[in-house]
Amino acid sequence: MKKRLLLTMLLVFSASIIFAQSKITGKVTMAENGSDLPGVSVSVKGTTRGTTSAGNGNYTINASPNETLVFTFVGFKPLSIKVGNRSVIDVQLESDVSELSEVVVMGYGSQSKKVITGAVTSVSGKEIATQPVQSFDQGLQGRVSGVNITTPNGVLNNAPVIRVRGTSSINQSSSPLIVIDGMPINSGDVSAGGYTVNNPLGDINPSDIESVEILKDASATAIYGSRAAAGVMLITTKKGKEGKAKLSYDTWVGATQTFRRFKMLDAQQFMDIKNEASRNAGLADQFFPSYNADGSLVNTNWYDYIYQTGYSQSHNLSLNGGNKDTKYSFSVGYTDQNGMLKKNTFSRMTGRMNVSHRLTDFITIGSNITYANSFNQAPNTGTTGAFSTGGLGRLPLVLAPNVSPYNADGSYNINRSANNLGLGKNLVGPGGYYNPLPDLELSKFTSENAHLIANIFADFKLYKGLVFRTSYGMDNTQIEDIQFSNPIHGEAGTTNGSAYNTYTNIKQWNWQNYLTYDFNVDKNSFTVVVGTEAQKFTINRWGAGRTGVSDPFFTSFQGSFVNNVVGSNYQSQNGLLSYFGRLNYDFDKKYLASFTLRSDGYSAYAVGNKWGSFPGASLGWRLSEEAFWKGSSISNTINELKLRGSWGRVGNTGVSDFASLSLFGSGLYGSTPTWAFAQAGNPNLRWEQSTKVDVGISYGLFKDRITGELNYYQNNITDLVLAEPQAPSRGVPNNSINTNVGSMVNKGVEFTLNALVLEKKNFTWNANLNISTNSNEVLALANNNADIIASTGGLESSNIVRVGYPVGSIFVIETRGVNPANGQRIFVNAKGEEVQYSHPGKWTYVKDGSTAPAITGSDRKVWGTGMPTFFGGFDNTFKYKQFDLGVFMQFSGGNYIYNGTKAGLRDQRAWNNHTEILNRWQKAGDVTNIPRLVFGDNVSNGSANPISENVEKGDFIRMRNISLGYTFKKGLLEKAKISSARLYAQVQNAFLITGYTGADPEISTNRGSNIAPGVDRNSTPQARTYTVGLSLNF
Amino acid sequence: MKKYINVAFKNAGKTLKVSVAALMMLTVTVSCTEKELLEPTPITSLSDLQAFATPDRILAQVYGLYGSAKSGQLFGGRYLIYNEIRGENWLNVTSNGVTGLQTWNHTNNSSSNEPTNMWNAAYLAVNRANLFIEGLDKNPNVVDATTTSQYKAEARFLRALIYFSLVNTYAQPFNKDAGASLGVPLRLKGEVGSGNNNLKRSTVAEVYAQILDDLNFAEQNLPASYSSALLNTTRAHKNSAIALKTRIYLQMSRWSDVVTEANKIVSTTSPFKASTGVANALQANIASVFAAPYTTVESIFSFPMGDNDLPGTQNGLHSYYVPVTGIGDYSLNPAGVVGNPAFTATDARRTNFIKNDIAGDGGRIRLLKFPTGPVHKDFVPVIRYSEVLLNLAEAKARLAGTAVDASALALLNAVRGRSTTAYAAADIATGTALVSAILTERNIEFLGEGFRSIDLQRNLLALPAKPTVAAIPTTSPAYIWPIPQTEINVNKDCLPNP
Repeated sequence: MKKRLLLTMLLVFSASIIFAQSKITGKVTMAENGSDLPGVSVSVKGTTRGTTSAGNGNYTINASPNETLVFTFVGFKPLSIKVGNRSVIDVQLESDVSELSEVVVMGYGSQSKKVITGAVTSVSGKEIATQPVQSFDQGLQGRVSGVNITTPNGVLNNAPVIRVRGTSSINQSSSPLIVIDGMPINSGDVSAGGYTVNNPLGDINPSDIESVEILKDASATAIYGSRAAAGVMLITTKKGKEGKAKLSYDTWVGATQTFRRFKMLDAQQFMDIKNEASRNAGLADQFFPSYNADGSLVNTNWYDYIYQTGYSQSHNLSLNGGNKDTKYSFSVGYTDQNGMLKKNTFSRMTGRMNVSHRLTDFITIGSNITYANSFNQAPNTGTTGAFSTGGLGRLPLVLAPNVSPYNADGSYNINRSANNLGLGKNLVGPGGYYNPLPDLELSKFTSENAHLIANIFADFKLYKGLVFRTSYGMDNTQIEDIQFSNPIHGEAGTTNGSAYNTYTNIKQWNWQNYLTYDFNVDKNSFTVVVGTEAQKFTINRWGAGRTGVSDPFFTSFQGSFVNNVVGSNYQSQNGLLSYFGRLNYDFDKKYLASFTLRSDGYSAYAVGNKWGSFPGASLGWRLSEEAFWKGSSISNTINELKLRGSWGRVGNTGVSDFASLSLFGSGLYGSTPTWAFAQAGNPNLRWEQSTKVDVGISYGLFKDRITGELNYYQNNITDLVLAEPQAPSRGVPNNSINTNVGSMVNKGVEFTLNALVLEKKNFTWNANLNISTNSNEVLALANNNADIIASTGGLESSNIVRVGYPVGSIFVIETRGVNPANGQRIFVNAKGEEVQYSHPGKWTYVKDGSTAPAITGSDRKVWGTGMPTFFGGFDNTFKYKQFDLGVFMQFSGGNYIYNGTKAGLRDQRAWNNHTEILNRWQKAGDVTNIPRLVFGDNVSNGSANPISENVEKGDFIRMRNISLGYTFKKGLLEKAKISSARLYAQVQNAFLITGYTGADPEISTNRGSNIAPGVDRNSTPQARTYTVGLSLNF
Repeated sequence: MKKYINVAFKNAGKTLKVSVAALMMLTVTVSCTEKELLEPTPITSLSDLQAFATPDRILAQVYGLYGSAKSGQLFGGRYLIYNEIRGENWLNVTSNGVTGLQTWNHTNNSSSNEPTNMWNAAYLAVNRANLFIEGLDKNPNVVDATTTSQYKAEARFLRALIYFSLVNTYAQPFNKDAGASLGVPLRLKGEVGSGNNNLKRSTVAEVYAQILDDLNFAEQNLPASYSSALLNTTRAHKNSAIALKTRIYLQMSRWSDVVTEANKIVSTTSPFKASTGVANALQANIASVFAAPYTTVESIFSFPMGDNDLPGTQNGLHSYYVPVTGIGDYSLNPAGVVGNPAFTATDARRTNFIKNDIAGDGGRIRLLKFPTGPVHKDFVPVIRYSEVLLNLAEAKARLAGTAVDASALALLNAVRGRSTTAYAAADIATGTALVSAILTERNIEFLGEGFRSIDLQRNLLALPAKPTVAAIPTTSPAYIWPIPQTEINVNKDCLPNP
């Protein structure tokens, strides 16, 4: 520092001797909020004179009146000002938003956006940081073209379903590879089963993220080879910047509620409807009122006992700074979130330390370390079992409203021996459905992570432009799953209480070594990367179960129980060894090319099949850099135009770790150990391959005031690993052998547009629009293209994988309303004949009333795709003086949803119904879509077999986020040593425009299932969250 | 300046050297770890190449075969339950679709879970037996020849037991047409890789012939007894094979063969007992047979349970029959055998096993023959000595025609007399009445043990009506279970049941 000062003084001094100059002083501030800008380089154009602004933004420089001062600072637009006769020149620098997007992080390197030839989308961390989400991936929803993200339901930290350019597999994962600061990490639900969901990506503090890059085509992803078929997400965390230490504090508090609850029958309506159904079935009335102590009718709204307003808070403190040798970024974060469901919580404490240090001119070392302790708690929400008789998504729809949750003496209203809710005065109940309160109040289901993600790296500058990097990283997650089910009632009501504790230790290490060589030969620029990567993944899981609690006093595994049983034990590992290379080339930033080759060896395949090669190539042409373009007037309108195209092949490793081997499993016969043939391996197994073709245009209009892209892609997925069915009489374990037989294709178009719509003195309006399409078609399946029927919760089969249709299409029996003559639902059988149903068990032809064969599952037909065919987002930021308003809409559509919940809402067993049931058919001539009510009827409304009556379109527009912020004026803050402050309020899920009648069209009961998407079955709805937040920079 | 350049150059050279060294080291390290990284061996499973490596592993495979037959879908619980609830003795309480409701209602179709799951479990056990027999031949010197034969005999005993359960469930009774109907595919070779899916159904007679062939081999090669009461109950010995043959011949109405076989293990006079091998005999008190340790000499063959080897959720017998400590899906039908006057009020089988006063159960009649819950550790009985006695009694009674065979009555009374008042000679007037009394006695004695639909079907009787469920005549497609659709889809030679 001293040296630099000396040098500056020397320069200034020497310069002043030569020219007649006067002293100029001034202050540099940020245009955005007026805060001081230290470290800004101030120079006199055309000279060697220069200085930097001090801590308070002040600078002093000597210049003559005809000279020009140039102010430059990383992240801000440069500013040039002629000195003239002024001696004080205060300037405001505008932040250069586009600069951040200039450089795009790639695998094993980065590249200028202008010359990139692969399909990559960047999202700034700012877009995610203040959202009331648990994991950053939830915050990306609607923001990335070609990437469809679905939140399955409103349960906290339920991993979103992410599909980059469509569903990329049938049996393996279709979720992208996640890479943090260059290190691939483990993703996917890590809870050991049970009711609590646990997305390990929730262990990453969204506030720590600088940017997220989504690699979509083969050119961009080929460097990740065999893991890239479903795309790659690169997370870059915040790094230290040269300059004075900056402390910032961000906080928000929020409240979460359900919205769009169903309007269920109240007690009186319930009794009227169910007794009508009983009489129609030839039975006596079965439903009778119960009364409270004060004489009022028992009228229970079960929603009230299950849902709540959940309050949440979040705090982040970060310190960021450095000098030219050492840069650091530290942060600590804490969030505590309570969901819309009682006992559904998520809390997380994180610490991050990113440091880099230049040891010598040749060696830079650094480390990125984050540790998180996250805690997930959820009751049985039905998320992990759609038909669970304790699922809280289901119980408020099923339980009788004329039954009280409590007895008069305050004890739970339960039937101990049948282990279900007491009947009250009703003669029949809905079956084995629990009173939800004991499990909510006395049981406990949690999943807690201790998660360390860390890497250390060293860069060796071997020669000008030649850098060798070695980087070793580890991703260690320890998960403690606790399930305690109370002995009174519910899940463990018949086993007198149970406790299952499971400990899981997931370790992954990754070691990368690569050389990067940047060099130019005249106008030819080259960047060459060659390297190796080794990775090992191990998982160890052990646990035990205990049943029969010896005294209700005990509420944990460590208490005293009568029986002990083995829990979920699991041990496995896999290894990956790779060699890769990439050449990026451009001529004069005009003609662009990139070639990638990766060779991966993976442990799961048999010897001889372990290695595979994954190439990628792309070409680009920046028309706008050509002389003829620049010379023509069109360049005034279209200042940037790039054509690009890519081809490549990547893979999907998602087979089980020892899939190629034939194995014997051990067990017990009584208390004697056994071995038994347990897996018929397939030594011929290979990667699933995705051959991707991509062509696109990037454009910039009116000096980049409008920018965007238009892409077309086609992914041919071949060698899909499918379970080839074996005749069960062969006795092959699981009756199938995994084989590379299937194929399918994804095609689509992506369009993005970013525009500075309006720019007035005090007002700006920025808008970003992205819209994407996707169509999927299955081309080949195992066993001569035999259909694969997919089920929900193992019970309801409403999806199919069939050649010629999108994967997981909705598959139902066609129905044609209710016959006005007799109130019976009209079904269409496989022959196309209309038959009608009268409960119990009477099927007749509509045309003549003669007996017809019963409708069965084999009368189903393909109804349409369960995956959206178009989706996108529209983000607007308005700024007026100190105010900013963000309006972010997300939309999706073209898909169908099997609304199985509706079958339950209209079921004529002793379940409660939606109030729409009041429109039932009552007399000849009534035109309605609700058939005549007959007690016990589980066929007419789709409980027995899925019917088209319950299929609905899934189109929606969601007001995903509205935020209103105020940035305080500087004067107010100075006394508190605050350099900037912003206060904001926002609503997540403000409203929804849809024709869908279920809880929410954005739903995935089967979560990440490739083959059963678009099903809504007893799911909890989505949540709406209101937050108020404050960001302070010191 | 020069100095600086020199230093820079020197440093660069040094750095380069260090880096090259690092790269070389890396290459060395990588080549060392390649095998470790890319060829890990499973930690908790055994490669097929090692499964026959030691005598202990081979023995563990023998136990693995028993364990396979003991699947919750098969002899661990459900096979017995299905045979029970297809009969008239049970009422469905919980209307739960996954605990036999369709079976109880006779509404299974070819895609239903229950026929599919049982078929899968049975053939998995068959294939494991076949692979084991072949594996012994391929690895001849690990255990000696006698032991090899014994192990093969155990495998074939189990294969016979499983094929018997299959042919009785998915095919017409042998007695309908002397076994001319379609049986089940007879898989006798080990199956591992893809292919070989097509195999037609053998006739019922062919399946029975194979069962008898397996049992004859088993009888020859099984040991006379094992070293402990537990093993004598839970592994097959000579008497087990003979006892099972009496059941097979009874099923085929080959009465004199029943007598021949039964006489090998039933003494001519009371107290009846086996004079060779394990000293199988009745216990004085039936309750002791169904109480821990479940290993009396009456239990010729049972499947054991252990703290860590349980039938699985919704598979255990106790789970089906008893509420509170189980789920209690089925209660006894008052109009079934529990209401039969022959099942007297003081019968030990009633006083020990039947209750109607479980709190909160609404007075339902419950069977507590399998008393242990909520952890269902009761052994599952497969062959009891009382069955051999009643098999022999019935065969003798049938052979005697209209006359009352005194020794048959004595055998019947041996079983009946230990639990209630025996029949006097005067109570049984004709041979037909004797057969009828024996059949009723089987219904009482084996209540809950999975005999009912088998006994109905071998006598070509309809499956009787129950409240809300009509009787299933012998001509109904629902009289036997459908061949699972998953088999029909892939095995192109396998015909469905009509």
